[in-house]
Amino acid sequence: MIAQNVAFGILAAAMVVAALGVVRTNNVVHAALYLVVVLAGGAAQFILLGQEFVAWVQVLVYIGAVIVLFLFGIMLTRAPMHPDESLDNDLKWPAAVTALFLAGVLGSLLIDAFHRTKIDIRQPIRTAAVTNAVFRTYIIPFEVVGVLLLAALVGAVVLARKD
Amino acid sequence: MSHLLALDPLFQSGHVGFSVFLVVAVKVLVAFALLLVSVMLYIWGMRKWIADMQNRIGPNTAGPWGILQTLADGIKLFFKEQSIPDSADRVVFRLAPYLSIMPAFLLFCIIPIGGQVSIFGHQTFLQVADLPIGALWILAMSGLGVYGVMLAGWASGSKYPLLGSVRATGQLLSYEAAFSLGILGVLVRAGTLSTHDIVSQQRWVNWHSFVSQWYWLPAFVPFVIFLIAATAETNHPPFDLVEAEQELVGGFNTEYTGIRFAIFFLAEFMNVITMSAVATTLFLGGPSGPGLGFLSAGNALNTWLMPVFWFGLKVIALLFVTVWVRASMPRMRYDRLMALGWKYLIEIAILWVLVAAAIEVANVQNWNVWATVLIAFGSAALAYGVLYLAIPKPDEVVEEFR
Amino acid sequence: MADYLPILVMAALVVAFASLSFIASGFLGPKRPNAAKQAPYECGIVPEEEPAERFPVKFYLVAMSFIVLDVEIVFLYPFATVFRGLGLYGLIIMAVFVLVLLVPFAYLLSVGALDWGPARRGVERVAGPILRTKHAVIDPNAPHPGGRDNPDDEEEVAA
Repeated sequence: MIAQNVAFGILAAAMVVAALGVVRTNNVVHAALYLVVVLAGGAAQFILLGQEFVAWVQVLVYIGAVIVLFLFGIMLTRAPMHPDESLDNDLKWPAAVTALFLAGVLGSLLIDAFHRTKIDIRQPIRTAAVTNAVFRTYIIPFEVVGVLLLAALVGAVVLARKD
Repeated sequence: MSHLLALDPLFQSGHVGFSVFLVVAVKVLVAFALLLVSVMLYIWGMRKWIADMQNRIGPNTAGPWGILQTLADGIKLFFKEQSIPDSADRVVFRLAPYLSIMPAFLLFCIIPIGGQVSIFGHQTFLQVADLPIGALWILAMSGLGVYGVMLAGWASGSKYPLLGSVRATGQLLSYEAAFSLGILGVLVRAGTLSTHDIVSQQRWVNWHSFVSQWYWLPAFVPFVIFLIAATAETNHPPFDLVEAEQELVGGFNTEYTGIRFAIFFLAEFMNVITMSAVATTLFLGGPSGPGLGFLSAGNALNTWLMPVFWFGLKVIALLFVTVWVRASMPRMRYDRLMALGWKYLIEIAILWVLVAAAIEVANVQNWNVWATVLIAFGSAALAYGVLYLAIPKPDEVVEEFR
Repeated sequence: MADYLPILVMAALVVAFASLSFIASGFLGPKRPNAAKQAPYECGIVPEEEPAERFPVKFYLVAMSFIVLDVEIVFLYPFATVFRGLGLYGLIIMAVFVLVLLVPFAYLLSVGALDWGPARRGVERVAGPILRTKHAVIDPNAPHPGGRDNPDDEEEVAA
């Protein structure tokens, strides 16, 4: 148990530092790479909770596809390679206050909702359990995801068309 | 569904003591050394084989039959200057080789090269790690390989590397999809994501196992799709547009010199070996073969030698095929490459998965198999028909995205 | 979680191997930078013009389609492990899911978003007039600006 808590602390600290890096850096590619660290930390937290499947889905979809799209978009539009001062402005402190406020609200909400829930992490949750939940209990959201993806792809094509 | 949780018996006690850690360290070190040596031998073998096919001599100076040529090249690169262009993003430029080499090594971790063995009194599988989600691990690692290529080209701040890496990223993403769907063809038959379980389902009973147990024939279409996509994923000819010398100088790693270039080179060839190992695991029975019942344990011959021998033989056979293809096929054109990936491989693989799933369910539920096959193929043909009608014919390509 | 111990050890070993190689090479190799060496490689000549400002938007479409496929595959992988227990129900839900996603594919194919060949003029096949905002259909007889395979243009130039 102690080992898990220590690992959680280290990962959480790394995620916070990287998340600050995302908003602090003046280089868009560096920001995307910091975001990779944050998402990888999230995946590692899922593994600590015994949710292997969710963890690797996070890696596959977010790190392996979404951030790749970000970076690809940056490359395709030939964003400047060197730090861009215009990415910074004077609203640092209001932004920090807002972020802290948001973290406080979301944190207290989550603690209030789940503080009695305990996960037995000695027994990893099986992929089959997650899958059965997706394909039986949450079947409507699952099919809606399909329609959402359809909309996303058609939207991308429409944006890219000439006319 | 209990077999979905295939854990290495090494960790089943739940306690990781020093001796368990020692076993892990030994397995990792052996796998690491094995990969490095096999890359060295593969590069030498590739040059020798191609030389034979082209009536040349090939490397013949360093060591017997030139076998140490790769080592000599590697040592030479240690003594070369590591230059970073002024226009480069220095941090990302230094980071990219790590991102390239890391997935190549990590992907190999889940490949089973033998059955259950005993090291220092601990029972363990002859593979570095047996993850319950092994198949997703293969996808994740081959997906992360994009980062090295993409960032190396971008960070160089130079024209040709950028062109090369944009082209490479487009290719890798396109074939990543076909690659995943090819693996899916096996998973539908196997019903598990663990590589160890996939291999145990392909165990050798008699000569009939070769066609009935190994997945290469029951999942023949995914096998072909997997081989094509894996070749494209590793940027091997005929899909080596990434480093098309005539157009792109050297592709994404043009600005890399010395040992940094060597790391990219190492990663590229290690990927070929790892992909051959993945293909062996998924489609060719992994370490199983005649002359052993390795899963029923037994003496050292059965648990160590024969499985490793058969595994190595299959990987070498696949590597020979890649060299053969490299020597025979001209490089593809980029539009044909994209068309092959997006218009054929992906669609065929998706529909194959649905048809295969229907047949599996028919077997379980005792439906009339022929009726199921008929209906499944009928629906698939309908879907193909719509897609085929949607594809513009060569004389009427629509021009809108330029 | 102990399953990941070997992976962590392997990752640490690889990082150590690569960094030690770089450090060793830093000591062993020469350091003689000069202006020509530090310039971006351009086959020996001084770079004069920048590459094109932007790349074709099709690369972006490829990445976007890949994300959609990736999400679909992420659902298909666990499906492959449990569909036997789901029976006909499982087949139907997955067929619906996949067919819904084949629709945008048919659209992508029909508008030529996945065609990388030399650009040629042509006509739309599916859904063109519906999804277009203006210019109902490309007129196949109209001369096309900049079409590479267009003999009409060359005649005009010659005339």
